[in-house]
This record gives sequence, structure tokens and C-alpha cells, in this order.
Amino acid sequence: MNEKGKKRLSAVLKNAGLAVYAVFALFPLLWMVLLSFKSDAQMFTTTFIFEPTLENYKIVLFQSDYFRFFLDSIIVAGGAVIVSVVAGVPAAYALARYEFKKKEDIAFQILSFKFAPEILVVLPLFMIYQKIGLYDTYFGLIWVYQLISMPLLIWVVRGYFEDISMEIEHAAQVDGYSWYQIFLRTLLPLIKPGLVSAALLAFIFAWNSFTFPLMLAGTDVEPVTVAALKYLASDTVHYGQMAVAATVSALPAVIFALCIQKHLVRGLSFGAVKG
Amino acid sequence: MARKILSVLLGAVMIIGMLSGCGNSGNGGSTTTAPETTAGEPATTGDTATTDGFDWRAHENTTLNVMFNQHTYADAVVEKLADFEALTGIKVEHSITPEENYFDKLTTSLNSRSGTPDVFMTGAYQVWEYAPAGYIEPLEGYISDTSKTADDYDFDDFYDSVVGSLQWDLIAGHPVGEGSQWALPMGYELNNLSYNKRVLEENNVEVPTTTAELLEAAKSLQEFDGSGTYGIALRGTRNWATIHPGYMSLFATWGAQDFAVEDGKLVCKLDSPEAIAMTEYWVELIKEGGTSQWSTYTWYQAGADLGAGKAAMMFDATCNAYFQNFEGATAESGNIAWSTIPMPEGKTEPKSNIWVWSLAMNADSKNKDAAWYFIQYFTNKEFMQFSGTDGSCADTPRQSVAESDEYIAIVGKAEGYLESLEALLPSATIQFTPQPYFFECTTEWASTLQELVAGGKYASVEEGMKALTAKLNSTVEDIPVE
Amino acid sequence: MQNKEKTSNEERAKGAELNIVPLKLRMRPYLIVAPALIITIGILIPFVMAIYFSLTSYSFRLPTYVFVGLKNWIKVLTSSEFWHAVWVTARYAFFSTGIAMLLGLGIAMLLGNVNNRFSKILKVTLVFPLMVAPVIGTIVWQLMLNNSVGIIEKFLNIFGIYNFPWAASTSTAMMTAVMIDVWVNCPFVIILVLAGIQSLPKSPFEAAKIDGGSAWFNFKNLTLPMLKPCLYIALLFRLMASLQEYAIIFALTKGGPGDTLMNLSLTAYNTGFAFQKFGEALPYILFLWVCINIIAKQIVKRQRAAQRLAAGKEAE
Repeated sequence: MNEKGKKRLSAVLKNAGLAVYAVFALFPLLWMVLLSFKSDAQMFTTTFIFEPTLENYKIVLFQSDYFRFFLDSIIVAGGAVIVSVVAGVPAAYALARYEFKKKEDIAFQILSFKFAPEILVVLPLFMIYQKIGLYDTYFGLIWVYQLISMPLLIWVVRGYFEDISMEIEHAAQVDGYSWYQIFLRTLLPLIKPGLVSAALLAFIFAWNSFTFPLMLAGTDVEPVTVAALKYLASDTVHYGQMAVAATVSALPAVIFALCIQKHLVRGLSFGAVKG
Repeated sequence: MARKILSVLLGAVMIIGMLSGCGNSGNGGSTTTAPETTAGEPATTGDTATTDGFDWRAHENTTLNVMFNQHTYADAVVEKLADFEALTGIKVEHSITPEENYFDKLTTSLNSRSGTPDVFMTGAYQVWEYAPAGYIEPLEGYISDTSKTADDYDFDDFYDSVVGSLQWDLIAGHPVGEGSQWALPMGYELNNLSYNKRVLEENNVEVPTTTAELLEAAKSLQEFDGSGTYGIALRGTRNWATIHPGYMSLFATWGAQDFAVEDGKLVCKLDSPEAIAMTEYWVELIKEGGTSQWSTYTWYQAGADLGAGKAAMMFDATCNAYFQNFEGATAESGNIAWSTIPMPEGKTEPKSNIWVWSLAMNADSKNKDAAWYFIQYFTNKEFMQFSGTDGSCADTPRQSVAESDEYIAIVGKAEGYLESLEALLPSATIQFTPQPYFFECTTEWASTLQELVAGGKYASVEEGMKALTAKLNSTVEDIPVE
Repeated sequence: MQNKEKTSNEERAKGAELNIVPLKLRMRPYLIVAPALIITIGILIPFVMAIYFSLTSYSFRLPTYVFVGLKNWIKVLTSSEFWHAVWVTARYAFFSTGIAMLLGLGIAMLLGNVNNRFSKILKVTLVFPLMVAPVIGTIVWQLMLNNSVGIIEKFLNIFGIYNFPWAASTSTAMMTAVMIDVWVNCPFVIILVLAGIQSLPKSPFEAAKIDGGSAWFNFKNLTLPMLKPCLYIALLFRLMASLQEYAIIFALTKGGPGDTLMNLSLTAYNTGFAFQKFGEALPYILFLWVCINIIAKQIVKRQRAAQRLAAGKEAE
């Protein structure tokens, strides 16, 4: 009975711990969604009981350029992640598998782009971009976003490649598959959890980037993060509208996360090949 | 399966986005010209083709780039962009940036000398940085040129104190009011006391007219409605914007000065007895009658607290409370009234600081004449009549608008507002001494104020102000003063 | 296709005999890595420009600038603001990274361990705080913590705590900023660690079960060493980010109250953009960059070692 009791207690404690963290992590988000339904007049005088209104949604989604900002964000962040994956996964593979001179240096070089505070880079970049005509363009932002998404992607995916033993590749080679068949059919599925998690994170960081779009774009291209602050205030402060902008802008990442959730929740069944 | 759907969706969205994004230039502004408006529409001001050589369509088919700060003044302009484009044939691309980041972006753009933007929104203090650097085009040449300016523009219709704040002769230490006209006003802000009528009545507090009364009132109104409510809302972030509204107005009224010119140098006067006395008062006001989170409060939080019924009074920009009073906008709308600056002992003349949002022209612009048309149009009588009434810009820089029935009918509804403006406008001016290190000095000033309120760093207000004076003296020592 | 492969195998065999690796094979890794490098190398130019500007009197307010050598650097390195900023940066990074790592590891372990519906939902939803831009997250938190109208204030009132200053007082501002930073970034750690846990091989644990070790023993000697590679990555990215943190602090207090939260990034921003003295602002950030470089090298070294160790263990 004691053993069982202990087990139950530990289960309760574990769940309680998770619950406490869940409240900490999720309550502000729920609150933000709540705010999006509150009118300005009731914003500060009510808490949970109030008259919900769709006015904020109407103003933000239909009476402003919100969808344009949203689209800009998708193009820029999505494009950035796609570029990072296409260029980065092979690079991660090469850095994991091959031994070549300066390997670690190159890997570190790619990582080092994360070292620079955005402020350091933004002013020279602004001047350069204006000169070569990349200012306020999708291509320009996607390129800059590589600073944010590429290092993370390469380093995480490299780790996953390194975890896979060479035996699998040799086995597939013996079976007569070409290298890109091996890559696509055997390796990619094995690194999927790492790849999608890293892609999700890279997407989120790119999506949330603020300084780069602020300085390097603004008229033609305007991602949602900069635009969301516009809803916050002009004459008076409109937390409700900002909440709408933020809630809707979180949706792509949420959908992405939901789609890959089975990779996030997969149990410990993986590892079959590793002895 | 879900992943496949998602990737197809994303791909489709991206393609649609690229297609739609490619064709559209300009942030929601219409970029079509004449064909859109009904033919023969007698558009707006002075449409008769040529009057004394001035022609609204002289620059058709030019494209202008305009940078706006997120503000109701900008919203009013954007609303009438289509009219402007129809009248002149000039296309306008614009961007609106939240105020927190606006000037960073603007400065970077001006510094690149690329000619973008052609026109930008600015305030008076920024002129002290931009004009000496050569970023701004002086406007007096355009104003007086009859071939470039419509007959009915009427420059003298502007209030002196308002346009005067945008004139400077580029010499540090010389006050505003003389020199080139660097920008033209869209609207202005004075600073006064606003309060919640209902709260004062319910607590039997008279509207304070002296600083002593204000302190008493603020103290007695602490927690007037339980925890979380307090006497007076004031700005407090570590930013120049904390100093320039209420604080600076009272500072000047108290007889204190920030800098003086002595022996050809700028000397900081923040350790004078008046400066110390005023700051002591202000710190006490915050501690005894303000909110415990004062140091995180910006214009928005201060106004929001007044509108939500959490603060009984506010000493800040005139229009801050005005927006809170709009019908249905906030919990306390309809209950807000205005008074003027509470007077320190022995003083009779209120000296409000003034802030002027204005339009300026980039000196590197490649479309200067077209840019002048833009500035001219959006500061002329007809547009300002619109912005002062339907456009919610209650502080109109033009006398003709201020005296119009329409305006008085709308703004007169705000109790005490017009009276307060009338009392403060004549003596209002920029109470700071113009110098190019304004932002650095004023941010340090705000930081010191925060430290004085928080306590612990300085033994007394005097010590803090003396330390600040020493610091500012070393900051400005390399500024040449004639 | 099979022919092609056989040929290169032959080539390889031949190469092994002769001890030469054919050029095609030797170049291959470089070619594969090339796109990634090209994309990121373009960014080096701004770095070099920034270094150059730090040696000039570049200022937005002056129409021209002159080369002033190390004057800016000397001025910055001898100023009290600089060392104060270093101290603030170090404290902020230490606390926010440390807490995020510990908390993240703990929660990820719990999630890996507990396997009910609740945890399954949590595994997905716990990512959500990351999806709100940090600036907006800070604004929402500020609203919640507001003494007059905030929901958390009302909650604290139940316990008799009134008017807790949060970000407004010098003693609690750091803690508030760290709390918000942890709220935003802990999910990052959780995801990485969770993915790492997910890919742990089963056999060592099964063996340990048979041997009958305690949970703590398992954790210390099995889980932790095998998780170390991904822990180091999480540590690396979190540390780099929190040393540079600027958006959250700017949105929260702009560095105040007083100088409490003026870290290197924020001081540089103030000096460069607000005060227009760009040449003087760059030493702050370049210094930061050098420090991050050094710290990152150390962490990467350890990560590579842990990676090799973990890979070796699995091959057993």
C-alpha cells in the first residue's frame, strides 16, 4: 500500500507541478484573448464579467489593412524558413557526416551570426540595402531573417544527424539506393522530430522579429509585429485592438504547431535502430 | 495528411500574397489619379486652374513619400489623401510608425540622404537636431512665393506661439521664434490640469488653482475609491517625454530655467533654488498623490487611468484627456473637465510648454515643389477646418478655425477646455533652451527624476539636481554658442 | 543509377588504396555547405562597417564624420555607465537563462514522464507563449501587473498584497523583467529538451530497469549525459539571446527606473539612436559581441564533446 501511495503522491505532485506551470504560461494568453473581446470603455473596469463585443475584431480585421500585414508576415517568415531549411539541412548533413578542414570553424561561423545584437547590424544594413535596392522588399527581409533562422536550424538538425548511426546509411547503400534516395527516404524521416521542431522555432523567431522589419521595411512590406503596435494607441490606448492583432497573428504558428504535434508528443518508441 | 494540406495551403497563400503584394504600392492609400473621382467635381481649395501663376496641377504625376507618426493628426491627413491626389495629380505613398519607434526610423532615413521621405512629421525639439545637420528644407521661401502658394493660404492666420515654436536661427541658446521656418504645424499641445468632476464633487474637493491646493487635493484623493485609485496621474518613464509636458510647464511657471548663456557657453541652471524647489514639489506630488507605478507611466497609461476613473486628476497634455472624454470611449467619459496650471506661490503668469506636431520637408528631397504642395494643402484653412472638427484635432493652430462656430460647438462641449487654451496660448512657447543635445539632456533629467522618486541614490533633491547639473554641463560643453 | 553508385564506390576504394580522396568527393561537403554560407556571409559586411564606424565620430546629427581612432572606445570603456551596463547585462542573462533552463528541463522531464491526456495537451499548448511577439507579451504583462487596473493586482489583493511595484521600483524591476523573459523563452527550452527526450534510445533504460536503479540514478547517469548535447544547444541560444536582450526591457521600462535595467544593448540603443552619437554607441555592442563570441566558443566546445560522448554511448 505504501508503494502504491507513494506512486500516487508522486503522480499528483507531478501533475500539480505541470498545472502550476501551465497556469503561468497560458493565463496571460487567455487574458489576451479575453481582452480582444472587451470594448475600450470596459477595459479597465471589469475583469472576467463583461459584455463581449466583436467591435475590436471588426475594426482590426475589416477596417484596416490587417490582412495585408498578415500576408507580408507569412511571406517573409515562411520564405525565410523555407530558405533556411533548403540551404540549411544539407549543410547540417555535411557538417555532421563529413570530416573536412575548417569544419568546426564553418559551423561556428554560421552560429556567430546570432552573436550580433540586431542594433549593431541594422544601421549599416539600412545603408547597404538602400544602395542595392533591397530596402522595403520581401527578398531583403527574407535574406536578413536568415540571421535569425539559419543558425538555429543548422545546429539543431546537425545534432540529429549525428545521432543517427552510419550503419543505416551503409545498409541503404548496400541495398543500392542513391544518395539522395537515402537522404529523402531514410534520413529525413529519422530526423523529422528535430527538423520540425527547429523549423517551428525558426518560424516563430522570424515571425516575431521586430527590429529588422521596422528599420529595413515599412511602406511596401510591413509584417504584423510592427503593425500590431499601431493598433495599440493613437489617441487613446486600445488594448483590445492590439490583442486582436496579436491573437490573430499567433494563429499560423499555432496551426503549424498543431500539425506537427505528433512529432512533439511521440513516445519513446523511436530508437529502434539504435541497438 | 494534415501536413500535406498545410503545405499546400501555405504555398497557395504565399503565391496569392506575392501576386497581391507585387501590384500594390503604398500603404492603403489610393494610388489612382483623376479617373476615380467623378468628373468635374469642384474638388477643394482654389481649384480654378491658374491664379496668379499658382496651379495646383503643376506637379501632376510626381510621387511623394511621406512618413507619419501614429497619431490622430496623421489619420486626419490620410483620410483626405484621395482628395489631395485628385486635386493635384500627385501620388502619395505613406507609412505610419508607432511613436515609440518613429523617430529612430526617421533619423535613419534622413541620415541616409536618399531623399526618402519627401515629407515627414516632426516636433519642435527634433528640429534642433535635424536642422543643423542639414536635413530640413526651410519653408519661408515657399510660403512667400506667390507662384508656389495659393492666395488664400493666409500664413498670418496661424497662432504666433504655434508657428513661432518652429522657427529657429540655428544658434544654440537662442530661443525659438526667430529664424527660418522649419516646419508648419498640424496641431499643438499645451499642458494643463484635467480632472474628474464627479470624483472631486463626491469627495468635496475644490478644483485646485495653486500648487499648494493641488498637493492637498492629490493627497486627500489617494485611494478615493479603494486600492488602485489615486490622486493625480503623471508621466514617469525614462524618456524625454516625461519632462516636457506637465513638469516643464510648472518648471517654467515656477521661474526656473534649464540653461542660460553665460560668457559664450551654455550653463546648466538645474541647481538653481527655483529648480530645486519645483522638483521637490513634483517629487512629493508623485509620492503622496500619485501611483506607485509612476515610473512606468506614459501618456497612454496616464490618460487611460483618468478615463477609467482610477486617477482623479491629471497634469498632462491638453488633448490627452480630451480623447478620454469622447462619448462612450471610456468609463468616465463626460465627467472630465479642464483647468489651467496651478500657480506656485507668488507667481501670476502661467507658462505652459508647447509641443507642435508638424510637417517638414526633407532637404534632400527630389520633389521639393511637389512636397511643398503637400505641406501647403494639409495646413491650409480648408483642411484644418476639417481636421479641427470632424478630424478630432482639438488643438487647431489656425485662428480662423478656432473662431468658427463648428469648432466651438464641438470642442466647447469639453468643460473648461477652450477657456484653458485661451488662458495659456498667448504665453505658451517652448520653455526649453534650444540646443542639439536636447534629447540626451532631457533623458538624463528623466532618469534623475526617477531616482529621486525611488529614493536611495541621493540624500536629497538638491544633491540629485546638483549631480544632474554637473553631468549636463559636461554634456553641452562642446556646443559653440555665438 | 546503380551503376553510378558502383562507380563511386570503386572510386572510393581506389582512393582508399592510393590514399587520395578524389576531388569530387573532397569538394562535396564544401559545395553542400556553400549555399548556407553564402547566404549568411553577406551579413559580414555590416559587421565590418560597424567596426569602422566605431572608430569615427559618426553621428546622425553631423553632416560629416571624421576618423577619431580609439577615442570612442576609450571614452566608453572608462565610463561608469559602461561597467554598470556590463553588470546589468550579466545579471539579467544569468537569471533569465538559468531559470529558463532549470524550469524548462524540469517541465520537459515531467512531460516526458507523465503520460495522460493533460500532458498531451500541454505538450502542444506550452509552445504558445513563444508565439506572441515579446514586445506584445510585455505589454500584456504590464497591463496585468498594473496596480490600478491589472488582473494580477486584483489577485494579489485577495492575499492582502497591495500596490506591489513590479517594474516600477529599483528593487523589483530586474525580477519583473526576468519573469517576463522566462515566460516568453522557457517554451523554447522545453521544445528542444522534449525533442531530445523523445529521441533517447530505449535500451539503456530497459537495462537499467532490470538492474533496478532509482529514478534519480537513471536521471543522473543515463538521461542527463545523453541529453547534454541538446541542453547545451538550448543553453547556447538562450544565453546569446538574453545577453542581447533589448526588446523586452525597452517595452517594459526603457531601462529604468533610473539605470536599473540599462544593459549593454539598451545603452547602445540610447546612445546611438536617441542621442544620435552612433560612433560612441558601437563600442558597447562590439564589446558585447566579443564577449558572446568567447562564451559561445566555450559552450560549443563542450557541446561537441557531449555530442561525441552521447553518440559513442549509443553505439554500445
